[in-house]
Amino acid sequence: MDKINAVLKRERKLAVFPIVGADHCARLLNIDFSEVATDGKKLARVLEYGYQLYKYDMVLVFSDPYVEAQALGCEIEFKPYPSLVTAKTNKRFDRTSVIIEAAGILKKKVDVPIFVSIKGPFSLASFLVGIDKFLKILLKDENEAKQAIDEALEFQLRYLEELLSLNVNIFLGDPVASASVISPNTFQKYAYKPLQILINKIKAKGLIAGIHICGETKPLVNILDTLTADILSIEDITPKTKTIKMGGVSTQTILHGTKAKIRAEAQIALEQAPIILATSCDVPPETSSENIKELIKYGQK
Amino acid sequence: MDLEKIKKAVVEMNENATRELVNLALKEKVEPRQILEKGLIAGMKEVGRLFSCQEYFVPEVLLASETFYAGFDIINPMLKLQKIPPKSKVVIGVVEGDIHDIGKNIVKVMAEASGHQVIDLGDNVPVSKFIETVEKEKPDVLALSSLMTTTMMQMEVVIKQLEAKNLRKKVKVIVGGAPVNQDFANKINADGYGKDAAEAVNLIEKLARG
Repeated sequence: MDKINAVLKRERKLAVFPIVGADHCARLLNIDFSEVATDGKKLARVLEYGYQLYKYDMVLVFSDPYVEAQALGCEIEFKPYPSLVTAKTNKRFDRTSVIIEAAGILKKKVDVPIFVSIKGPFSLASFLVGIDKFLKILLKDENEAKQAIDEALEFQLRYLEELLSLNVNIFLGDPVASASVISPNTFQKYAYKPLQILINKIKAKGLIAGIHICGETKPLVNILDTLTADILSIEDITPKTKTIKMGGVSTQTILHGTKAKIRAEAQIALEQAPIILATSCDVPPETSSENIKELIKYGQK
Repeated sequence: MDLEKIKKAVVEMNENATRELVNLALKEKVEPRQILEKGLIAGMKEVGRLFSCQEYFVPEVLLASETFYAGFDIINPMLKLQKIPPKSKVVIGVVEGDIHDIGKNIVKVMAEASGHQVIDLGDNVPVSKFIETVEKEKPDVLALSSLMTTTMMQMEVVIKQLEAKNLRKKVKVIVGGAPVNQDFANKINADGYGKDAAEAVNLIEKLARG
């Protein structure tokens, strides 16, 4: 059994995965990120390179947060990493096929569990409407907010169907649903149910469902725990949960910290075992390989 | 006119009531400065307090900010005539490659509501734009925001450019945003880090006083 599944079954205390995405790997290989984000073979190549270099316990197919938003009409710009330029327009550019192709290639090449990162419908809806406007209509126009979330959910259900047919596991990233942004009540009212629907669909296929929310998560942890996902990847892993947690080392520490600081944070994280020792968010592209290796070395002790 | 009512309308995010109450106060010959300080600013300070103790979140602050401006826009022409000097001049912007400007917008409104002049460069701001503006406007504080791990290193580039242009000692630089913390601020040689908008405004007040 692989280490991730062994941790999830509580047969092992520790697995490790610094959240390495395509941006860091592309930088290591000196490949322009826009090429990686638009070409499934190149995306698979850089992610496979990252895996072979670091030998962590899972691989995450993650290019950038705007794949689905762009497919639904948001415009993005590579500078060099993608940023969202507009809310939904009529100009659709679908890169979900890039992700699907990369996941398919990696599934055949890599012998650890493959996860694909997709957006939670709440965050996706915020990109479609425009984040500022979306946050305001949560309080001003419930119907408009729910309509946007429904559109996002409908898209994600179709996308998920394709991904699950590859037998890959899924991470649902919902950054705008963080308690740094919205209240637990707003989360419960708008973000909870769509996540629940997606999690149920993933688990019904016997695959692993993870949730990733960065920023402030403490006020949300009890609610997140009731979603019955398999993994909770959160910034602050100290609250007790039934769900297996993932995290422990801050992105600042992996970027700028000393090896001793990485080990110290990892050591504290072990108190939460069984756990997937990880960074609290995706590693910044500029992170040194030495620091990533230090975390992995600790996690593979 | 009880200015507490204006404060309450801001806290309750009620734009129409705020406009009506500000107009009513002016009709009753209440000084615009009083309306601003004891009504609108007092309201935003309470919003900041509620935000800090996690009773209010970003949507509430955004709507309260709109409410603040609904009242502020009515009295602003009169305040300009009185030529009251701002407490400090602040240049603010989200670094290049990042368009997440909510945090920046909240700091902007809270700083303005506290009597600071804020020059907002918006989001996705190139390093050169920050440098040009610091050179031209000579602000007391430069506030940099970033929400992404892929863009936060731009803050360091801005600070290094300020050093290269001999501007670093002329302006205090503060940073904020989800992936940033005090360690990061120290590392890139910033003068301060604000974990939320209320803290950022406190920092501005402190640094502007020198």
